[in-house]
Amino acid sequence: MASLELKNIVKRYKSQTVLDNLSLTVADGETLVLFGPSGAGKTVLLRLVAGVIDPDEGKIFIGGDDMTDVDAEFRGVGMAFQNFALFPHMSAFDNIATPLEAKRSSPGAIKAGVESVAKLLKIAHVLSHKPRALSNGQKQRTALARALVGSPPLLLLDDPLRNVDAKLRFEMRLELPRLLADRGATVVYVTQDYKEAMALGDRIAVMSQGVIRQLGTPEQIYREPANIEIARLFGDPTINLLDVKPSRDAKGIYVGLSNVQVHLSGAYDAAVGRDCVIGLRPEALSFVEEGIPGAIPVTVEAETPLNEKIVTLVRTVRGREILVSRPAGTPGRSEGKAHIAVDGKSALLFDHASGDRIGSKNVVALRNGEAA
Amino acid sequence: MEHTSLLERILRGIALTLVVIFFMFPIVWIFMMSFQTNETILRIPPQLIFEPTLANYTALITGKLMTAAGTLDIAFMRNLGNSVFLSVTSVAVSLLLGVPAAYAFARHKFRGSEDIAFTLLSFKFAPALLVLLPLTLYFQKLGLANTYIGLIWVYQLICLPLILWIVRGYFEDIPADIEYAYRIGGHSWFATFRKIALPLAGPGIAAAGLLAFIFAWNNFVFALVLASADKQPVTVGALAFITSSGIQYGQISAAIVLSITPTLALALYAQRYLVEGLSLGAVKG
Amino acid sequence: MTAVVSQRPKPSGFRISKKVLPYVLSLPALLVCIGILIPFLTSVVYSFQRYRLSQPWARQFNWGDNYISFFTDPKFWNTLKVSLLYAGTTVVLELLLGLAIALLLQKRSTLNNFISIMLLMPLMTAPALAALMWKLMTNPGFGVLSYLASLIGLQDFRWASSPSTALFTVVLVDIWVYTPFIMILLLAGLRSLPTQPFEAAALDGVPRSFVFFRITLPMLTPYILTATLFRLLDSIQQFDIIYAMTQGGPGDTLTVFQVEAYLNFFQSTNVGRSAALMIILWAITYFLSNIFIKNWLRLRERARGQA
Repeated sequence: MASLELKNIVKRYKSQTVLDNLSLTVADGETLVLFGPSGAGKTVLLRLVAGVIDPDEGKIFIGGDDMTDVDAEFRGVGMAFQNFALFPHMSAFDNIATPLEAKRSSPGAIKAGVESVAKLLKIAHVLSHKPRALSNGQKQRTALARALVGSPPLLLLDDPLRNVDAKLRFEMRLELPRLLADRGATVVYVTQDYKEAMALGDRIAVMSQGVIRQLGTPEQIYREPANIEIARLFGDPTINLLDVKPSRDAKGIYVGLSNVQVHLSGAYDAAVGRDCVIGLRPEALSFVEEGIPGAIPVTVEAETPLNEKIVTLVRTVRGREILVSRPAGTPGRSEGKAHIAVDGKSALLFDHASGDRIGSKNVVALRNGEAA
Repeated sequence: MEHTSLLERILRGIALTLVVIFFMFPIVWIFMMSFQTNETILRIPPQLIFEPTLANYTALITGKLMTAAGTLDIAFMRNLGNSVFLSVTSVAVSLLLGVPAAYAFARHKFRGSEDIAFTLLSFKFAPALLVLLPLTLYFQKLGLANTYIGLIWVYQLICLPLILWIVRGYFEDIPADIEYAYRIGGHSWFATFRKIALPLAGPGIAAAGLLAFIFAWNNFVFALVLASADKQPVTVGALAFITSSGIQYGQISAAIVLSITPTLALALYAQRYLVEGLSLGAVKG
Repeated sequence: MTAVVSQRPKPSGFRISKKVLPYVLSLPALLVCIGILIPFLTSVVYSFQRYRLSQPWARQFNWGDNYISFFTDPKFWNTLKVSLLYAGTTVVLELLLGLAIALLLQKRSTLNNFISIMLLMPLMTAPALAALMWKLMTNPGFGVLSYLASLIGLQDFRWASSPSTALFTVVLVDIWVYTPFIMILLLAGLRSLPTQPFEAAALDGVPRSFVFFRITLPMLTPYILTATLFRLLDSIQQFDIIYAMTQGGPGDTLTVFQVEAYLNFFQSTNVGRSAALMIILWAITYFLSNIFIKNWLRLRERARGQA
C-alpha cells in the first residue's frame, strides 16, 4: 500500500503558473477528492503524480519513495482518464490486459485477472469488442477496469464519470465507494461534481487557480466552507448569500434581515460593523407561523418539487430572493404570504471584501494545513 | 443548385469533356503508340485503328532490339531495376530516420525542435542544384560518385521532409492521453511507441511512404547529376534512350508506359491521402 | 553535491533519460541533413570564387565579381527574365484553370470524384517523362499534335524547336503536369467550406457571381495562396521539363536558373558563376518560402482542428 506526498509542487506552462507551490498528503488507503472548476490544475496534478509530466519544482513521494524523477511505468499507479483514453486498435480485453502484460504475467494469469475485474464491473460480455463498439458506460467501465486490474496501491481517477449519462453516474456514485474500499488502495479522485466529491471522498481538497483553497472532510467543507466561492460550489440548491452588517445588542451579535433581528451563535465579534455576506443554506431555513420571534415575512414566488425535497423561491419585503428547501412531505407554503425563520447556528458569515468566512475554526485548521 | 438551366448543364458537360481530353489524351496516346510498330507510328495522318503488337515490350524486356542493321542492346530493364531499388531503399531509409524524428517532434517539444523541423522543410524548397553541384565534387572525393549509397543519401532530400511532416501530423492526431495510459500501465516509451503510436499512425505512415516513393521515382535531376548510365533510374534512362535508340518511337513509348505505370497505380491506390501529402498536411482530403 | 538516492530498486535494462530521448530520436535524421548543409555552404564559398573546373590552377577568391558581372551580363538578365516569365505564366494559367476545374467538380458525385482522380494522373507522371511524352507528340515528323496543328492551318508549327514557340510548349507541358495539383488542393478547400453561407445566399436569391466573388473566393483565399506559393516555389526552379524537352534551347531561349546553372557547371565548367546563380535563386525561393510557410502553417493548424 502507498501513501502519497506532494511537496511544494510548482508547474508552469510558458508564463502561466498552473500549480503554485502546492503541498498535499494522502494517507495510505484514503480516498482524497480533488474538487474544483476546470482550469484549477486538478488534472495537471494527477498527471504529475502519474509521472507523465514533470514538475518544475517540488518533490513527489509515493509510499515514502521519492518518485520525482522516476518514469511513469515504474511508479506503480493506476489511472483512469476523463476521456477514457482506451486504445482504439485493441479489444476491451486487450485494453484491460495491458498493465498485466507489462508485469509479464502468464497468459493464464492475465485471462483470470481481466475476467475477474470485468465481472466486477459488469463488462464481461463485451470483452471482445473494440472500443468504438462500446457504449459510453462500457467504455468508462473498461477504462476503470484497466486502472484497477493490476491492483495498483495508488489509483488516480480523473473525473471518470464526467462523460457518462446521468443514470450511470448515479449508479457509479453508489458503486464506486464500495469498489474502492474493497481494493484498499489509496485513491486520488478528480471531479467537478460536488455530490460525487461528497459521496466518495474521505477528504476533499478544493482547488482553484493552482492552489488548494480548503482541505477537509466532506462534512467540514459543507458546514465550514473557507470562503464564499467554496460555499457556493457545495450544495444544491446553492446557498443564499445576502449582504448584511452585523450589530451587537444585549443578546449577542445579530444581523438585520427585512427589519427582523436574527441572532447568530458564533464567535463573530470581529464582524461587528463590517460589510459582510451571510450565507444561509436553503435547508437551514424553514417556514414558520407569524408571530414567532425572528420570523421574516416573505412572499412565495415559485415552488419546485424535486423528488426528495421541495425548493421554494421566496421574496423578502426588501425584494431579495431566497431559496428555501424542505424535505418532501413536510408542511410549507406554495403561494401567498408566509414567514420563514433562520437557524442561527448554521448561518455562515463571510467578509464582504475578501470572501473569507469569519470566525472560522477551519481557517485556522487550513493554515496549519498538513501539520494538523 | 436546382435552378441550373439546361444550357448551363450542356456547357458544363462540354467544359468537363475538354478538360478530360486535355489531361488524358497524352497518356492514352502514348499508351497506344507503345503497341504500334514504327511503321504505323510514322504514318500520316496518325492512325487510331491499328494492329496492336507487343514487339516493343518484348524488345525492352529481353533487352535485345532487332533492327535491320543488327541486334542492339537496351539497358532499359536495368534503369527500371535502378528506379525500383533507389526508390524502395530511399523510402525505407527515410521511414527509419524520419518516423522516430517525427515522433520526437510531435510528442516532445524540445528546445530547437521547431527550428530543426523547419530547416528540414526548407530543404524541400531550396533549389536542388544549389546542393547537388558542390556535392558532385565532394562525392568524387569521397568515392560516393555514381554509387547507390550516395544516391540514396541525396534522395533523403526528397523523402525525409515529406515523411517527417506528414507523419508528424498523424502522431499529433493521437491523443496524448492514450500514450500516457499505456505508459502508466507499466510500459516503456519504446513499447508505447511500438504498440500504440506506430499502429495508430500506421495508415499515415503508409501513405507518406507511398508518396515519398512516388516522388523518389519521379525524380530526375539528382540522378542526372550524380549517376552514370548503370545507376540511372528510368527518368534519366528514358532520356538517354531516346538518343541512343534513334528512331525507335514504339520502344520509347513502351518504356514511358512501363516507367509511369508504377506511380500511377500507387497514386490511384493512395489517392485518399494525396491531397494531404501533396500539401504536406496543410489540406485534408 | 549530494545525490538523492532512491531506495526503490532501479529498473534494469535499456533506459534513456526523458530529456535526451527526443534528441536521440531525431539525431539520425539530423545527421543526414547536416551532410546536406555542408554543400550548401560550399556553394556560398564557390560563388565568391573564380573557379573553373577546366582551369583549377586559376582558382581564387574574386569576392563579389561573379555577382557584379551579372549586372552587365545579358545572359543573366535573360535567365532572370525567362525564369520569371515561365514561373509567372505557368502559375497564373494553372491557378485559373485549376480553380475553374475545381469549381466544375465541386459537387460530390461519383462522376466528379472519378474525374478528379483521373486528373491526378498527369501529376503523378514524372515531369521528365511527361516532357518526353510531349516531345513524341510534337515531333514534326509524326507527332499527333503537329498533325492537329496542321489541320487548323498551322503548317510547320515547330513547338519546342522554334525560339518563338519553345516557351509556349514547355509552359503547356507544365500546365499539363501541375494544373491537377492546384485543382486538387482547391477542390479539397472548396469541399471543406461551411455550407451555411451558401445556403443563406441561395435562399435570399443572391446572384451567383456575387456569391462567387464575395463568399467563395474570400473563403478560399488561404487555399489559393498556399497552392499558388507552392507552385511558384516549384516553378521558379523548374528544371526537369525544360531540360528534358530542350536542354534550355533553342539557343538560350529557355535557360532558366537551374538549367543555366547546370549548363554553366557541366558544359562551361564555370563553377563560380553556376554557384552564384544558385545563390540568387536560393535568395528568391527563401523569400517566397517564408511567406509560404506562414500561410501553410495557418492552413495546417486549421486542418488539424478539423481532424
